[in-house]
Order: sequence, then structure tokens, then C-alpha cells
Amino acid sequence: MEPIAPRNLTAQLAYRARGNPPGTTPASSVGNFYPGLELDLRNLWRRVFAGIELHEAVALVLAVDDDAPPEVQALVGEILLTVDGHPVWIEVTGPREPGGASESLGNWSLEWSNALADIVHKAGQEVRCTFTKGDDDQQDVSLRVRQIFEPGPEGGEDARTAVLSRELAQPGELTQSLCSPWQNDFIGCGCYYWAASRPDYVNVEFDEADGSRGHNWLQRDRTPATPKFYTLRQADLLQHADIIAGWEDKLSFVLKGRDDHDRDGD
Amino acid sequence: MTATVTEPRVRGYHLFDGGTGPHILVSEGSLVYAIPPEVRELFEDAAAARDETAASALLARFGLDVSVGLDEAPGEVPLRSISLAIAQTCNLSCTYCYAEQGDFGGAAKLMSEQVAHAAVERLVDDAAAGEQVTIAFLGGEPLANRRVLRSATEHAAARAVERGVRVGYSITTNGTLVTPDDAEFFARHGFAVTVSLDGVGAVHDRLRPARNGRPTYDRVLRRLEPLLSERRRTMNLSARVTVTPRNLCLPETLDEFISLGFDSVGFSPMLSSPTGADEMAGTDLTAMLEQMTACAERFEERVGSGVPYPFLNAVNALREIHRGTHRPYPCGAGAGYMGASADGELFACHRFVGDDERKMGDVLTGVDPARQLKWLDDRHVHRQQPCSGCWARYLCGGGCHHEVIGRGRPACDYIRGWLHHCLCMYARLREKRPEYLDMMARGR
Ligand code: SF4
Ligand code: SF4
Repeated sequence: MEPIAPRNLTAQLAYRARGNPPGTTPASSVGNFYPGLELDLRNLWRRVFAGIELHEAVALVLAVDDDAPPEVQALVGEILLTVDGHPVWIEVTGPREPGGASESLGNWSLEWSNALADIVHKAGQEVRCTFTKGDDDQQDVSLRVRQIFEPGPEGGEDARTAVLSRELAQPGELTQSLCSPWQNDFIGCGCYYWAASRPDYVNVEFDEADGSRGHNWLQRDRTPATPKFYTLRQADLLQHADIIAGWEDKLSFVLKGRDDHDRDGD
Repeated sequence: MTATVTEPRVRGYHLFDGGTGPHILVSEGSLVYAIPPEVRELFEDAAAARDETAASALLARFGLDVSVGLDEAPGEVPLRSISLAIAQTCNLSCTYCYAEQGDFGGAAKLMSEQVAHAAVERLVDDAAAGEQVTIAFLGGEPLANRRVLRSATEHAAARAVERGVRVGYSITTNGTLVTPDDAEFFARHGFAVTVSLDGVGAVHDRLRPARNGRPTYDRVLRRLEPLLSERRRTMNLSARVTVTPRNLCLPETLDEFISLGFDSVGFSPMLSSPTGADEMAGTDLTAMLEQMTACAERFEERVGSGVPYPFLNAVNALREIHRGTHRPYPCGAGAGYMGASADGELFACHRFVGDDERKMGDVLTGVDPARQLKWLDDRHVHRQQPCSGCWARYLCGGGCHHEVIGRGRPACDYIRGWLHHCLCMYARLREKRPEYLDMMARGR
């Protein structure tokens, strides 16, 4: 049967791709998904290669299938570097400060929805992937790309759907690892989406000569006496469990950019 | 075309086929889809049986039941458009005039500068920077009060610059008093000028005589010469034809006015006049639909081969169909639009000037929210009969409030017949000239 074809603009706007419930339309979504509120996009890529389980945020192999061949078994704990010739990390160069000289700013991971866009079309095929343990040692392994979308029931145009394949995620996986705004757990947020109510840089002082100094909002120790130094050292920072279990003790209201005030005072 | 093609059968949709295969208009959201013949059969069966339950079930089954949230009245609506009855007097005595020769059945009045400026301030000051407002000069004959018209325009222009608001101006005139200097003024301020012309030559003269009975057509065309020849790109000139049983020669009128150089030409039927004179009845409306269809055929032929043919009714209908315009009111009257009388009272629109029941406030104190809310609630198309069951309700909006209150709804078959023809034409042009429709949908 020929499809029902939207002709005017409202009909085109109202078009619902097969399989997507209304809750997935952009109009009904908060629209962030790294980790997100409705769906954690990173979980889409978790099982994209048969035999291994990945995490996008660090490009890390988390687990392997029990029945995987030995060279795949050996990948646990390794970092994915390239897929089918496409790098998933890239060296970023540029000035460290405004007006500074261009220099290497280290290796940064690319978003996989861009970096891996090409392999969406290679479902069912084997592609070469390069991994490393973090040293210079690299190994190439061929892995099969899983179906990203379910094929439609018929041939022709209808064969393409926007329905995520069952192979890609097990029930419940897409909504795992979401942000938890009610407990202020924005730790995973890769885009500092929450900055309005919870700025990521607090207690900031500014002077003409040295620029700004302040605390990371997650720093365990944030008193007026704590040296003003922005740290990213994990040991210094609150972790998910701290925030989820005790956010009301560990965080204060941010007033005029400061949260180092006495919480029992007035 | 027979009424049976377009009569309301179920409220949710209307089926049509203009020769490019079956299509459906889904009323909620004004959605247009091409559908396969076997799907059309299902929808046709439900409509023929007038089975609302089956009809809704079919819309749901095929995913066409999009909720567009038109159930509620919109609440208080900010004023964004105002018309000034700048001169409640007129030098013509048109047979059917809603303003009864300009004075709305009362004493002739000219709006004072003070009232005009207060109206302008009410409008411009309530808008936020970056917003667009429009001021329409109406009458009577607005050029009978030229001094205040110009002073109000200049006041609005200066005030708008101060506040960062954009203003559009329009005037509806009988054309008999236009001077070359007016043409220059309209061009400078980017006016949309609408001239009421009811036909070519003697046809016009019969309906629109001067007070002393003399003909006016030649005089109007002479007066419009500077507008037609010297006008700048910044101005828009249209002809508006009020259709009565005595000027039913629309294709000829349309051709003539387009060749004279008007930027657009539009027709509207005279449905309600204060004395009942020259109102259109059933057979007149059938004749009018035939002639409008003939005009649309000329339009489609020209536009289909890339030649502009500014037949306003067709352009507007295609634009609304392509955009999927859906609204529960026919117009902005009593919502974002009000008509100010010469005394500075605000009415639901220019035609309700002097009608105390449709008074909405005044230019000094603004719109009375309670009266506005009541009006919007009462006039919502869901509360109109038989509109709530009509497939055309969100394109038609229930018909001009003024005409409906004055005479009811004698023109529904005409309205639906015209929409049906435009839907068929839309489906054809959607295949032949999709880029034309996209370009047009971007315009105002
Ligand atoms: S006025 Fe318009 S919406 Fe109401 S019944 Fe007539 S055509 Fe339908
Ligand atoms: S009520 Fe009628 S005359 Fe008044 S603005 Fe609406 S359509 Fe025009």
C-alpha cells in the first residue's frame, strides 16, 4: 500500500515516525541526554559491537561476553581509539588563555553520535576497531556492528524505521544513568546544563592581575578558609553516592555566587 | 459543483480529489494528507454513514488525530491592531454600507487629533520592543479627515521609533479624494491602500454613487493614477470588491483590475447590510461560487505556468491551507484587534462601531478584560451552531461575527464550496509548483 503522505506544513510537523511514542518528540522533551532526563544517549552505544559492552563517556570496555573469542575477552578495561578508520579521540590544539600561543590541549573524546555516524550504515558488517590499555601498545580487533534500527516489515521506503533495534539495548537500559536533578546530582552532566541554579564555579574572587580564583562546586571542602583553587582531582570531589545520600548536608544554597556561608546561621 | 460534495458529514475530516488522487483534510490542525484509495474508502464509508465514532477511530488508527489544543478561549489578548474610524462621514452613498453612509446611523463626526493620538499611544505603548502593530484608517471615508490621519501616522511613526516597535499602516478608501500628495505620503509610510471598487464602469457606479447620485468610477481611477504609476515598492495597492446580486461579473472584474496594476484584487459577498439592500441570497451565492471558481481556474492556469495573477482570495486560501492555519475565530475582532470610534470608544471591530453591546473599552482606559473574555468565550467556534460539527470550522472560524450576528449563516455552502475548490487546487499546485507554495507561505 502507498503510504499516507503529509502534504501541508502542519501535517509534516505532526508526522510521527513509526515506533516513536509521543513522549519522544522534541516538543515533549527537555532535550538533554548526556546523561539526560528522559534517555541517556550514551547507553545507545553500549552494545553497538557484538561481544563487548562500552561506555561512551570514557570510551572504555566495561565487560565482554562469556562466549567471546580470546582476543575479545582480553579487551576488558581497554580504551577504544578508532572505529573503521574513524578516531573517537582527537588532539585539540589552541591557545590556553585568550591571546596565548597555540599548543596541544591534550586528547579529547568525540561525541559518538558524530564520530560513529558512518557505521550506522554498516549494521551486520565487521569493522576494525583499535584499542589500547593506555600505553603505546595497541591492538586491532574486528567486531560486528549490531543493528541500530529495526528494519520495517515490508521492503522499499517502509523498510527504514526510526525504531531502535532490540539488539542495541535491553529493556530499561536507555533510561539508566540519568541525571537526578532533585538530589542535585549533575555530576555526569557533560554540558553544564544546570549552571543557573548550581553554578559549577563558586566563591569566586577576582583580581586584575591574577584573574579569578574559586572552588569547584563539588569540592568537599568549601569553607571561607579553604584556599581558592579550582580542582578536578577526584579525591577532592563529592561522588554520586555523597550527593544522592546527603545532598542537603553537603551542598548549600548558592547566594550571589557563594556557597561557603554558614548554613546554620541566617 | 453541488452542495453534496462539501456538506458536513463528519466533523473530523473532509475528503477531496482534485485529479491528483484522494486527499484528506483533517479538521483539527488543518492537516492535509494524500491517502491511498483503499484508505479513502474506509474514511468515505464512515462519512457516508455519518458515523462519528467510526470516523474518530479511523483518524486514530492512521495516526491523524493530532491534538492541537483549540478547546479553550485564549484569555486576555494584547491589543496589536487598531482601526480608527477617523471620519464617520462619507461623500458617497453606497447602497449596502454597514456604516450607513459613514455615520453609523448617527451624526457625522470627525475624530479629533487628541483622540487619534491617544489611540496610537494605547497601541504602541502596550507593545514590547521588536513587536509589530498595525493601524488601519477606516471610516466613513478616512480622507475626509486628512489632517488628523496624517498627524496620527506621524505621531505613531515617531513613537514607534522611540520604543523600538514596528508599525504597519493601512487605509480603506473609496478613492474619490486621493491626491498626488496623499500618494507620496502613503508611499513614505509604507501604507497598504485598499480601494473599494465594485466592478468596472457602470457596474460600479450603480452600487457606489456619490451623494448627489453622480457616477464615481472614472473619478476614482483618475484619482488613483498617481498611486498606480508613481508608487514606490514600499506601498501596496489593492482593490476590494463587495459582491452583491448586481455586480456578479467577477472574472471580467478581476482581469480588468489586475491589468490596471493593482497588487491584489479580492472579493467578498455582501451578506448583511443595515437595510437588507443588495444582500446575497442562496441562488446569488451559488452564482458567486461558480464565478469565484472560474476566477480560480484563471489563477491556477497563470500561476501554474509561473505568471503572477494576484487574486487575493485564492492566494490567501492557498497560503492558509499550505501553512495549515487553524483558528477558532474568523478574525482578530475583539481579540488582538479593536475598532476605535471617532469618540475614542473601542468596539469589537470597525463594523461594530456604535454598537454598545460590542463595546470593549476606550482608548484612554484600554480594553475591558471582562468584556473581552466574555466576547471570546461566546464567539469561540465550538460554541457556534452549526459550526461545531462542520469540517471547515478551523479554516472558516465560523464566519464574520458582524454578518453572523446581523443575518446568521446563509453562506456556508458557498464558504465550503470555495474551500473545497481551493483544497483541490492546492493538491494540484503541490505537485506542479511546490516552490510557489513555500514562497507564498513565508509571506504575510
Ligand atoms: S460558518 Fe463556517 S464553520 Fe460555521 S458552519 Fe458555516 S462554513 Fe462551517
Ligand atoms: S467581525 Fe467581520 S468585519 Fe469585523 S473584523 Fe471580523 S471579519 Fe471583519
